[in-house]
Amino acid sequence: MLRWLARRIIAAALVVFVVTSLVFVVTHVFTDPATVSLPLEATEEHRADRRAALGIDRPLAVQYWDFVSGLVVGDLGESFWQDQPASKLVLERLPATLKLVAGATAVTVLLAAPMGMLAAWWERRFADHAVLGFSMASISAPPFWIGYLLIIVFAVQLGWVPTFGSRGFVSLILPSFAIGLASAGRLAQMTRRGIVEELRKPYAVTALSRGFSRSYTIVHHTFRNVASGFVTMTGWELTRMFTGYTVVIEVVFAWPGVGRLAIHAIENRDLILVQAAVVVLATLVVVTNLLVDIARRMIDPRVELA
Amino acid sequence: MSTTNGDGRTERLLEVKDLTVGFPTRDGIVRGVDQLTLNVGSHERLGVVGESGSGKSVMGLAILGMVLPPGRIMGGSVRWRGEDVLDPAVAGRVRGREIAMIFQDPMVSLNPLKTVGSQLRELLKRRVGLQGPAIRRRSLELLDMVGIANAGERLRAYAYELSGGMRQRVMIATALACEPTLVIADEPTTGLDVTIQDQILALLHDLSTELGMSVLMITHDLGVVAQFCDRVQVMYAGRIVERAPINEMFTDPQHPYSLGLLHSVPRVDRDDGELTGIPGEPLDRAQFPPGCAFEPRCNEAQDGCRDAPPPLLKIAERRWVACYNRPAAGSP
Ligand SMILES: Nc1ncnc2c1ncn2[C@@H]1O[C@H](COP(=O)(O)OP(=O)(O)OP(=O)(O)O)[C@@H](O)[C@H]1O
Ligand code: SF4
Ligand SMILES: [Mg+2]
Repeated sequence: MLRWLARRIIAAALVVFVVTSLVFVVTHVFTDPATVSLPLEATEEHRADRRAALGIDRPLAVQYWDFVSGLVVGDLGESFWQDQPASKLVLERLPATLKLVAGATAVTVLLAAPMGMLAAWWERRFADHAVLGFSMASISAPPFWIGYLLIIVFAVQLGWVPTFGSRGFVSLILPSFAIGLASAGRLAQMTRRGIVEELRKPYAVTALSRGFSRSYTIVHHTFRNVASGFVTMTGWELTRMFTGYTVVIEVVFAWPGVGRLAIHAIENRDLILVQAAVVVLATLVVVTNLLVDIARRMIDPRVELA
Repeated sequence: MSTTNGDGRTERLLEVKDLTVGFPTRDGIVRGVDQLTLNVGSHERLGVVGESGSGKSVMGLAILGMVLPPGRIMGGSVRWRGEDVLDPAVAGRVRGREIAMIFQDPMVSLNPLKTVGSQLRELLKRRVGLQGPAIRRRSLELLDMVGIANAGERLRAYAYELSGGMRQRVMIATALACEPTLVIADEPTTGLDVTIQDQILALLHDLSTELGMSVLMITHDLGVVAQFCDRVQVMYAGRIVERAPINEMFTDPQHPYSLGLLHSVPRVDRDDGELTGIPGEPLDRAQFPPGCAFEPRCNEAQDGCRDAPPPLLKIAERRWVACYNRPAAGSP
């Protein structure tokens, strides 16, 4: 188990390295931070000056070496929009994003697992149809729209929670739901399908034939067997959150996270800062996948120690 | 080697009457089990034989009031000591504790993510009501009963870590956990090596004698029936076509299908014992005729056979046949 873990961690580190190198290629080979940062009508001289200032007039190999050695010590370059180290700016915003993702994940899991089990329990009955309806609605509605809807109803009309910003736990509720509802919808359907399928399997039929109730069999026998898929899917949902939903929802709710920072960086043509945000988010995705693998290994003893 | 109890001394345990299970399909409702009638007495070992698709497994589950979706119990009754098993409240009491089923495929009938110990524990705790150290003691005892050595270690094993024969022994242990009065064994030796098959059958035979359990042995292997059962019924297309004490079934089969079956098994000790060699196609359940389901393959078929399915009638003491060509006892 420990050796397996060590191998998985090294593999994850390699993936982070490859991904960040790709980011470097995109920002330095296909374009360059200096050009991007200047208006289109800037003169060639102007650009050369900016390049020299940013150190990107040097050979690519040298720049890449700089980038990599910076990466190792957590230096992701200077943001010229904010005039501060990019890593500092991103890391300052990171807790807000992590809180948001944690909230959204809680919403996802706490809604999806019971809804999926309920739908399977009442297969083809009212509760099943109701859960399906919820899933279809939440999956097809874009998160920003769900976000707006939630703001209008709960913040503006009812005044239960603040409209935007991050002021403690209460302000976390709406954006978490805005992100988590669609994920919960997808996961609930997956859980339902998995449990219904498992309930037909001989081991579940055996459990029922021994006199265990349908609810006991669902919770104690079949859910365990869909848990591995559940965790994997939750991991994918987290990936979607890191790479898309949080960005949108942070803008809608004026949430001071990494996603909103990235949007501002783009607006201000700060390629270095964008790059730093992407590197951090990509790392989070890789770490998520690592955690998913570990969780699956703990749930299912048959998962190969590959 | 089978022991027959005198008729008078056996107590009626299970009484199934006109049980019908339907599965909706594109071509209409297929009756997996059709107006099935069956009784099992105490200390009895009854065999049910029939080819693949004849409805044996559907019958086994339906006796517990269970049907896999999209199936439905369409009619008939199942009574256990007089109580209606199709009533969910009764079923909840009877399942596992009075009637325990052993399934066709030991490879997949144990929960892959639970250890042997935890599967026994949940039964002993929730279905028997044992607590604390008694649970472990009884678990070890059960594994010991089914001939598993190293029981303490095996409690920690997952199903995938066990051989097929071992899994079936564990399966039997879980069936015995609640000390059932009747065990329904649905092809308990399918997919096992021949020597292991014999061991499992011998184990079930011994356990049923020792513990005084009745067994309903479902199989497509006449050799198993010959070794194991006191009485046998032959199933075809969801119906019982013949019922007889074991010796008479082998010496004097009556139904044309039973005749075919026995001729197709030249030696009882054949390895596979598959029911083959009967002329005609194996049954296609979606389009069997309105009359006797065996008619398309029957060499004794006459005009009347196609009109309505022949009823199961008594032709002699303890002998029943469903065939228009076998007059019932008392009729000319
Ligand atoms: N889930 C299902 N959907 C539709 N029809 C079904 C279903 N399960 C069973 N049947 C019908 O019931 C019939 C009997 O099936 P069953 O599994 O009881 O056969 P069996 O005698 O146990 O066969 P085998 O020896 O292969 O186990 C099948 O031929 C099929 O027509
Ligand atoms: S009823 Fe007719 S078709 Fe059916 S088995 Fe008897 S003789 Fe054959
Ligand atoms: Mg079967």
